[in-house]
Amino acid sequence: MKSSLIQKAAKSGVVFAVIVIFLALIGFTVTAASLIQKVFGEAVGVSAMPAYPALVVFLGFIGLWNGWRAAKHTGDHPLRAGSAIVAGLVAGFVAGLFVLVYTLIVGTIHSNGVDMRVYLSSLSPESIVYFLFGQSTLTGGLIHLGLSIVSAAAGALLAIFSDRSQHQFALWKQKLSLWVNTSWPAKLRKNVFVGYIAMGVVLFLLVILPRTWGSYWNYIMGTVGIYVLLGIGLNIIVGYSGQLVLGYVAFFAIGAYSFALVTAPDPHHLNWNFWVALLVAIVASAISGVLIGLPILRLRGDYLAIVTLGFGEIIRILIKSDWLKDITLGPRGVRNIAGPTLLGKSFSSDIDFMYLIILAVLLSIFLARRWQESRIGRAWLSISQDETVAQATGVDTYKYKILALAIGAAFAGLGGALFASRNQFTGPEDHVLMVSINVLSLVIVGGMGSIPGVILGAFTLKGLPEILRELESYRLLVFGALLVLMMIIRPEGLWPAKRPKYGEKSPPLDAEKGGPE
Amino acid sequence: MAEVHQKRPIKMPQLNVKVIRLLATAVVLVLLIARIRNVAIESQYGADTWLRLSVSGLIVGGMYALIAIGYTLVYGILFMINFAHGEVMMIGSFGGYFVFEAFNAIPVTLKDGTQNSFLNAQPVIAILLAFLAGMGIAALTGYFLEKIAYRPLRGAPRLVPLISAIGASIFLQNAGQLLFGPQRRQYINPSVIDRGLGWQIPIGGTNVLLTYSGIFSLVLSAALMIGLFVLVQRTKLGRAMRAVAQDKRTAALMGINVDKIISQTFVISGALAGAAGVMWGIHNGLTNYFVGFLPGIKAFTAAVLGGIGNIPGAMVGGMFLGIVEAIGPAALGIDFQLKDVIAFSILILVLILRPSGILGEALTEEKV
Repeated sequence: MKSSLIQKAAKSGVVFAVIVIFLALIGFTVTAASLIQKVFGEAVGVSAMPAYPALVVFLGFIGLWNGWRAAKHTGDHPLRAGSAIVAGLVAGFVAGLFVLVYTLIVGTIHSNGVDMRVYLSSLSPESIVYFLFGQSTLTGGLIHLGLSIVSAAAGALLAIFSDRSQHQFALWKQKLSLWVNTSWPAKLRKNVFVGYIAMGVVLFLLVILPRTWGSYWNYIMGTVGIYVLLGIGLNIIVGYSGQLVLGYVAFFAIGAYSFALVTAPDPHHLNWNFWVALLVAIVASAISGVLIGLPILRLRGDYLAIVTLGFGEIIRILIKSDWLKDITLGPRGVRNIAGPTLLGKSFSSDIDFMYLIILAVLLSIFLARRWQESRIGRAWLSISQDETVAQATGVDTYKYKILALAIGAAFAGLGGALFASRNQFTGPEDHVLMVSINVLSLVIVGGMGSIPGVILGAFTLKGLPEILRELESYRLLVFGALLVLMMIIRPEGLWPAKRPKYGEKSPPLDAEKGGPE
Repeated sequence: MAEVHQKRPIKMPQLNVKVIRLLATAVVLVLLIARIRNVAIESQYGADTWLRLSVSGLIVGGMYALIAIGYTLVYGILFMINFAHGEVMMIGSFGGYFVFEAFNAIPVTLKDGTQNSFLNAQPVIAILLAFLAGMGIAALTGYFLEKIAYRPLRGAPRLVPLISAIGASIFLQNAGQLLFGPQRRQYINPSVIDRGLGWQIPIGGTNVLLTYSGIFSLVLSAALMIGLFVLVQRTKLGRAMRAVAQDKRTAALMGINVDKIISQTFVISGALAGAAGVMWGIHNGLTNYFVGFLPGIKAFTAAVLGGIGNIPGAMVGGMFLGIVEAIGPAALGIDFQLKDVIAFSILILVLILRPSGILGEALTEEKV
């Protein structure tokens, strides 16, 4: 057996040990175990610990992955059974050893009666006992060691099995694709009406669901919808025109506040109509987009990112400051913001609001698509590909970048106004940097420049954590890790944008002077 | 409203950018000077306030400078903004915090029989170890940051590593929150550099307190900056770093291991940020998971201010920004709440008016 092989496996083991220890330190082991238990149908009571098998399942998964990875990294094609299993065992042993040392340290400190929460806020005494499987320190550690070795060996076996059956898998895949391409799915795909029917089904669901969901789901889906709106807006800036803007929340804030200030009774006693105020919010955000864009859009890439981040922070600090307190009410925020009204009737129930958000989302999807496929969209595409070349071929890059920022800002203004109106409140803490980061994450994770990607991203990043409330405190951590991982593994996103093909079919440029009418 | 834009394309007047920049700079400067004069005439602050503010600005500026050097070093080599650099500083700050906490918990019986903690009995060792721990853990973070988040992205389009850096920054910040909790933690200083102790400077009838902790931070940051300067200018590693910054390919042809040099650059910048983090704790007396965010952005401002990629520029920019930020609200007669707005405004103005920074560096179109 080569020593480099063992070294490699040991390295993999160390990585996984670090992962397990980190997860234990941030308390994720308990959360994950209770989630697993929930999946199996037994909800964990408040402040109670989940059952031990759930922890075994969770750690077993990590161990399987460890063994799998170690076995795959032996570098043989096809995998040799002996070396793969040895690699898995070594990786499992090393990982288990480190976890054992960790449990010994933590367990000893715990049994001496020290409350570690003073320094490591997630390490409550109960969670330590839980991590030790309720046993003594040494026994708990040894269980971890054994579990790690066994699961890693199983992972290695799994890797060997999948390697052996690769040929079989390839055959199945071939058969499946053949069937899809020749049998009725292919005919279905070619049929034009199927698209319309699918669209009809989606529309029907959109009409029917808000009535049947109940207010909890309406609230969550409303939030997702607003984030889809924001995502579509930012997608125009980041995805289409390729300008990285980190201060998107500035426009969101401007929209929310301009809407709030003209409709709320306090501080300006304006009480404008909802729709007028909505228009005001959109226009105000768009104008602010132009004003902010004029000086800074000559910058590129990372500089633009930081400058816009600065703008976002400036807006928030100004809203919060005593200096503008007479206008914005400072840190207190604006209350009693108006809901939608139509012909004198109020439409501010959660169902009506859901419909309003759905309408706004559909409208903005439509607009964004039209823009993308127009002359402007092509200008944006050329700018995002290579600005210098775009300029050289006669695209007024500056103008189109400002246009992108203005349109994106208008969407943010709409989103902000809806958000403020739905909550009937807006304050400076609604407009922190994290909003920008959330929107940017969903655009990037979904796939830059792709509208289905934005929707998918909004559902996974905003909807999923709302449903899995246990994961709420880990959401941003996962966002961060996800951004890094996506950039390394799949920089184009979950649902990448299909490049519009400009072949012979597209009309000559002069023929398309009109806008999207 | 966007449709209006489409139908009547806006004609932008094509003025000379340089002329506009000069004019705008002049206008900004005149406005600023007029404002400062007005405020100075009706000033409510005496000389003691100005001295206190500028000294505290200088101390914070030293920390900004240390962090800014990290941005500049990395930018000089990889042409990317290491967005997670502020978080590296936060981790360094926690490193120092834990050393002080641990030493504070060890009781020692002094020669004269009194009980005291090890922290106060052996302050030199405690401070040394705190800085070593802070710098060490921050350097380690920098090393792994580069290895995990940036190295796989070498050669990717420039937006890609930036997004990865933003992700790493969010990750580290939230890891810090989950590990150490969201609360602010009181930094325990050894009693010799207690935040209440210092030299009393009599000026204009009142005494201005120059705290030992602040002066210590200032001296240490100056020493570290000199050390770095020597390292970059005089050692083999420094020469290799400069070579890689100039031209990676040629440097590789000359037998320099480019990846290794990049790693070492991250280690050095991480160590400097870690030192700044410990100083931040010693000077301001607290740390938490969010402590790196604002200094990170401000240090980036400082790096841009001095001309990014330019090490002396980062030092000057950091000091300058620290002082301007400290005396700015008083000089302009605005609320102290708006302190952060000043830093961001400087960043925006510099990038718009003079993107090459104060000390300047020939930035090509591609870089800005």
